[in-house]
Amino acid sequence: MKGIVFTEFLDLVEDKFGLEMVDKIISQSKLESEGVYTSIGTYKFSEMLQLLQNLNDNTGISINDLLLTYGEHFFSVIESSYSGLLATYKDPIEMLSSIENHIHVEVRKIYPDAELPVFIVEEKTKDSLVMIYKSSRAMYYFGLGLMNKTFQHFGSTAEIVLEKIKEDGTEVKFIINKS
Amino acid sequence: MSEEKIRILERSLKREKAARKAAEKILEDKSRELYFLSEELKKSNFKLENLLSEKSSELKGVFENILDAYVVIDLDGNVLKFNEAAITFFGYPQDAKNQLNVLDIIHKEDMDYALSSFADLQTKGFFKNYRARVYTNSGEIKWVHINASTIYDKNQVPIAAQGIVRDITQIKLLEEQKEEIFQRLKEKNNDLYEYAHVVSHDLKSPLRSIDALISWIKMENEGKLDESTVQNIDLIESTLENMDKLISNILDYSSADTKIEEVEIDLNRVLNHIEKTVLIPDHIKIIVLSKLPVIKGDGTKFQQVFQNLISNAIKFNDKEQGIIEVDCIEKGSFYQFSVKDNGVGIEQEYHDKIFEVFQSLTKREDSTGIGLSIVKKIIDLYEGTIWLESTPKIGTTFYFTIKKQ
Ligand code: HEM
Repeated sequence: MKGIVFTEFLDLVEDKFGLEMVDKIISQSKLESEGVYTSIGTYKFSEMLQLLQNLNDNTGISINDLLLTYGEHFFSVIESSYSGLLATYKDPIEMLSSIENHIHVEVRKIYPDAELPVFIVEEKTKDSLVMIYKSSRAMYYFGLGLMNKTFQHFGSTAEIVLEKIKEDGTEVKFIINKS
Repeated sequence: MSEEKIRILERSLKREKAARKAAEKILEDKSRELYFLSEELKKSNFKLENLLSEKSSELKGVFENILDAYVVIDLDGNVLKFNEAAITFFGYPQDAKNQLNVLDIIHKEDMDYALSSFADLQTKGFFKNYRARVYTNSGEIKWVHINASTIYDKNQVPIAAQGIVRDITQIKLLEEQKEEIFQRLKEKNNDLYEYAHVVSHDLKSPLRSIDALISWIKMENEGKLDESTVQNIDLIESTLENMDKLISNILDYSSADTKIEEVEIDLNRVLNHIEKTVLIPDHIKIIVLSKLPVIKGDGTKFQQVFQNLISNAIKFNDKEQGIIEVDCIEKGSFYQFSVKDNGVGIEQEYHDKIFEVFQSLTKREDSTGIGLSIVKKIIDLYEGTIWLESTPKIGTTFYFTIKKQ
């Protein structure tokens, strides 16, 4: 997993819960990196899992909620670092249906070792979209956060329903209706 | 500050420091990688540049060396490039070409044609076989043939047009001369035909007078003439008849190479008609071996062909039982006809001669020596050929072909 996901995550934790919480979840986890992250490095996904787990233990906030908030925060990173890529879209449905064959394709050109999910578009109209999310990392709530912010970015809102296809969340159906 | 807090800050600082070092190392590696990459790019760029200049000098060679004039113009018709051949042909000095617009050198009578061809460049992207006149720098008018096409940039936007210009002044001149000669020939031919008509008429009328006078003499002196005089008078009459036929045949011959009408002709009916009108002696039989085709052409001409061949076959038959066989087979785009007899046959040395005018092999009174030359002229007219196979004393087969329409 790319270092920026860790550095942004820890920044967000420091923002919301203070430096002590950052120190705590790092010390409580068994990390190969020893908690030393740079945005341009690449680290194991299991480290992110442990950090999330320990944050959940210490705050009582569910991992899903943590990921949702983090996804929403991460969109601002995308907005500032990849504004050019976002500017190629005028409509949130268009943008979301293009993650698989455009956006993440470009991401992979910048980071050849990025671990990206698969999005399969099942149905698409002007105002609705049904997509299947597939990833061994089961970060669908992170995706939900990104999607919420995507609609906000274009000045609109949407009702997004998640339906788990696999119990462990490695396959999830997103039913999106623009409101 | 509490001890605990200090330790947290220290750990955080340590992590930040380590992260900075890690980042610096990653960046160092990346910049080394980038340096090598850029070195490689420079090398391949250099190679590409060489390749490009090779290609463009190759193209330049082609441009300069083609023998035809090659012209590049912009979309408004301003000349951008002339090759050597174009400079020589149009006679414009190298530097004057910059102010030259193609519309200025087009002959004013060809302007509409030129403009519509120019429009083709915009709509279709090319024009072909443009033939018109241009003015050269010295004011000379020349005929040119041009094939041209639009040049597009990499986004398919038209930017210019190129054309290969060929000087066809000489060809055009020859074409005009040919046309003129052809017209003159046609007129001459018509004159000749009319002349033949008048002459034949003028020749026939004294013959008719002589014939009438002879028959009066015969009638008036009925019973008074001795036998040898009567015989001589008969001889005069048959000679007159022959002469009349000869004149008709010459007229036929002079008109044999012009198609008068083009209609569907059922050759079976043509043959039937011949069998009814030509006098066929009892000992001669005409057999048509296969169904003959229906062809397009001039009915009287085909009548003439078959009638002449069959009359000859009858005339030169010396057998007790004479047989004449007419047949037809298809050969690709031709029909091949044959007229076979079991007559006297023709010696090999005469096989070509017999088709020439006035070449009669025998000094027969009823033979004018024109019949076969008329046949040959008609076959020529229908793009066919005629030849024969013959064994003296056994018989002759005439073959001829007619192009299918
Ligand atoms: C310009 C827009 C985007 C950029 C530049 C971008 C970039 C990235 C990057 C760098 C990662 C991390 C890869 C890694 O850690 O190896 C990632 C992961 C992810 N992205 Fe995007 N992304 C964009 C838009 C989106 C959108 C609109 C969604 C909407 C659902 C999305 C869904 C995800 C998810 C769910 C992951 C987590 C990985 C996983 O679940 O397997 N991304 N993206």
